[in-house]
Amino acid sequence: MVRKIIEERIYSLLALLVVICVVASLTFPSTFPTFENFSQLLLNLSIDTIVAVGMMLLLISGAFDLSVGSVVAFAGCITAYLMTSLQIPVPLAITFGLLSTICIGYINGYLIAYKGINPMIQTLAMMGIVRGAALMLSGSGVQNLPYWFNAIGQSKLLGIQMPIWYMLVTVALFTFLLNKTIYFRQYYYIGGNEKAADLSGIRVDKVKMMGFVISAALAGIAGILLSSRLGAALPTMGRGLELRVITAVILGGASLSGGYGKIPGALLGALFMGIVANIMVISRVSGYWQEIILGIILIGTLWLDKALQKQYSGRK
Amino acid sequence: MTHLKLHRISKAFPGVKALQAVDLDIQPGEIHALCGENGAGKSTLMNILAGNLQPDEGNVTINDQPVTIHSPQDAFGKGISIVYQHLSLVENLSVAENIFANQHPTSGWGIIQYDELYQQTELFLRQLQLDKISPRMLVSRLSPAEKQLVEVAKALSKKPSVFILDEPTASLAERETRILFDILLKLKGEGVSIIYISHRLEEVFLLADRISILKDGNYQGTFKKEDLTKDELIRRMVGREIQSLKTESYVQDEILLSVKNLTGERFRGITFQLHRGEILGLAGLIGAGRTEIARALFGADKVISGEVVLRNERLHANHPAECISKGMAYVPEERKTLGLFPEMSIQDNMIVGKLKNALHGRFYNPAKAKQLAIDSTVKLGISTPGVQQKVGNLSGGNQQKVVLAKWLLTNPDVLIVDEPTHGIDVGAKFEVYEILKTLAGQGRGIIMISSDLPELLGICDRIVVIKQGSLVGEFSRNEATEEKILAMASN
Repeated sequence: MVRKIIEERIYSLLALLVVICVVASLTFPSTFPTFENFSQLLLNLSIDTIVAVGMMLLLISGAFDLSVGSVVAFAGCITAYLMTSLQIPVPLAITFGLLSTICIGYINGYLIAYKGINPMIQTLAMMGIVRGAALMLSGSGVQNLPYWFNAIGQSKLLGIQMPIWYMLVTVALFTFLLNKTIYFRQYYYIGGNEKAADLSGIRVDKVKMMGFVISAALAGIAGILLSSRLGAALPTMGRGLELRVITAVILGGASLSGGYGKIPGALLGALFMGIVANIMVISRVSGYWQEIILGIILIGTLWLDKALQKQYSGRK
Repeated sequence: MTHLKLHRISKAFPGVKALQAVDLDIQPGEIHALCGENGAGKSTLMNILAGNLQPDEGNVTINDQPVTIHSPQDAFGKGISIVYQHLSLVENLSVAENIFANQHPTSGWGIIQYDELYQQTELFLRQLQLDKISPRMLVSRLSPAEKQLVEVAKALSKKPSVFILDEPTASLAERETRILFDILLKLKGEGVSIIYISHRLEEVFLLADRISILKDGNYQGTFKKEDLTKDELIRRMVGREIQSLKTESYVQDEILLSVKNLTGERFRGITFQLHRGEILGLAGLIGAGRTEIARALFGADKVISGEVVLRNERLHANHPAECISKGMAYVPEERKTLGLFPEMSIQDNMIVGKLKNALHGRFYNPAKAKQLAIDSTVKLGISTPGVQQKVGNLSGGNQQKVVLAKWLLTNPDVLIVDEPTHGIDVGAKFEVYEILKTLAGQGRGIIMISSDLPELLGICDRIVVIKQGSLVGEFSRNEATEEKILAMASN
């Protein structure tokens, strides 16, 4: 039991979260354990988590995507541009916005999987290109978005804001897909040993490319949700998101070398970062320290992980 | 005066005695050839001299002083320099920087003097008559043969008194081979001791002063070149006893796989047929192109021309997935890097060849995967506490059985196995033979690549010999002998 908790990051992270929540509830009984606080906290991390699900998929296959933050901005901006400047109906504009992010993912995936360009270089370049395109489309930002568009991210269901529902659905859907379909199981094999996967009959290039398409599409959904929630599309949306998301996914049990990770880990990693940030806000820690503390937590977690694993494998 | 002397060196690895009380003495200014089959212990002996391995017993003396070689650096310090079979060059650095790695000429402040470096290299290459190679050229732009010569130059830059070469001519054409021989003869004149390992027996007789023979880790003696004929040498290298495994032949009349004029980058004009129930051996030296043929058949490498017909249907495979769906399977030579997912469980490793096996309705069912894996471990006798264990923790023999289990779950008609018993202990070897035999009995066709000749002779119905990318001969089970195959493969 103890061993399972230590070996599976999902369980150890969950245990840690429970401890933190209990301590925070006892320390700040009037501000931390309230419905409003948690509702706000989850709303804030819903966008990150949707992007993190795609990133988790990529990290399982041994790749990552630095352009997701820019894609979030681009998806919001192009959809807003189509709706306001070109007066295109909301559903059509959203469809077109999502298709354009799928194209971005396709270009990333094609060049990485088929042409052998390094994922870091490719997505770093795409990060700049897409951010530039978002700026070009929206200038300093597009406001006064149609009512029905804003309703997507601002309405509530059962008293809970819609983005939280979208996040939960995304996490549930991809958890199911990775556990229950043989197509998505292939990502673990590719991350485990790409060459062996190819020789075992997995079409590594196709499957890898699809990972980038999915990641970009999820970032597109997140971008449309974000601009709907804000009621505006800003070219600065999602700045720094890529590193925050990678941090969350690594905390949630992924490894940069691939082969490890589970989708719920993406949610738990984001939740962990959100709760820690939330507690620091409640306890009035200065903004500068928040980033420093999060960095230390990441390094500390990975280091502890290595130490514990070593101890356990040593005892075998 | 003896320059380098090895006395009763023994070394054991788990399951294998690699060297047993081997003696060797090397005179200054002689070229000493070391001969033996694959697995005879030559590489182990060289790794001991290079400081990569420590002997379990025995001692090494240089100029009658007992020495212990702790590390490769230590070996350099003692004047021993080795050219390995695989290259150790950095592709993206220049020839000069590779040759003088870690010994660049520097100014007093530690700044590299590049002009001097290039000049020195040019001079050095000219001495070796390698002046066609520019010191400024990136190694990645050299041909394989030029790379091999740069490797030799790199080893010589350390001014060794004992110079060891392991199969140096494998990637060389005739012209470069001559250059290499000139270098070696010149070094010999300067009093350097040279240990030369090669499968090419002509070269051995051309170059060597004396020849030492290893067989299964046992020292078979040292002979002057004049006292030994080629046949005699082969006779002393081979003759390992392996009990004949395959008592009966399961060969059927039906032709399962027919390969016509298959040509790829490293082989050409390969034509052969495989019958149902047949075990066909591919013999040849390392680097002869056998693995490349296997990979091309399996759709993993490009085919330039030729055709492959599987059960009367022409195959045009661009990816292993197509071959697998048509009933082919391939157990690669490099188990850890190409065959396994070392960090994943036995269960996951076994199911990957045909993930559809674990579907329950439309969805993946771990319980079904687990049951299939458990059945396979029982069937193939894989000893493990459970199928959730990481494959990386298993022994080599059990790992190989996991790879075989993976392919058996795809129910293949044609199974290609590439060095299936490489690096596994004797007991597991026989289990692998048994498995292959059983599969042949079920009417599958098996192509077996192996550098272990007794193994091929023991299990195959027919053996074809590949030499430098071409099929040069064929032996039936009754006519094949180690001597004949070795003579054909190395001529």
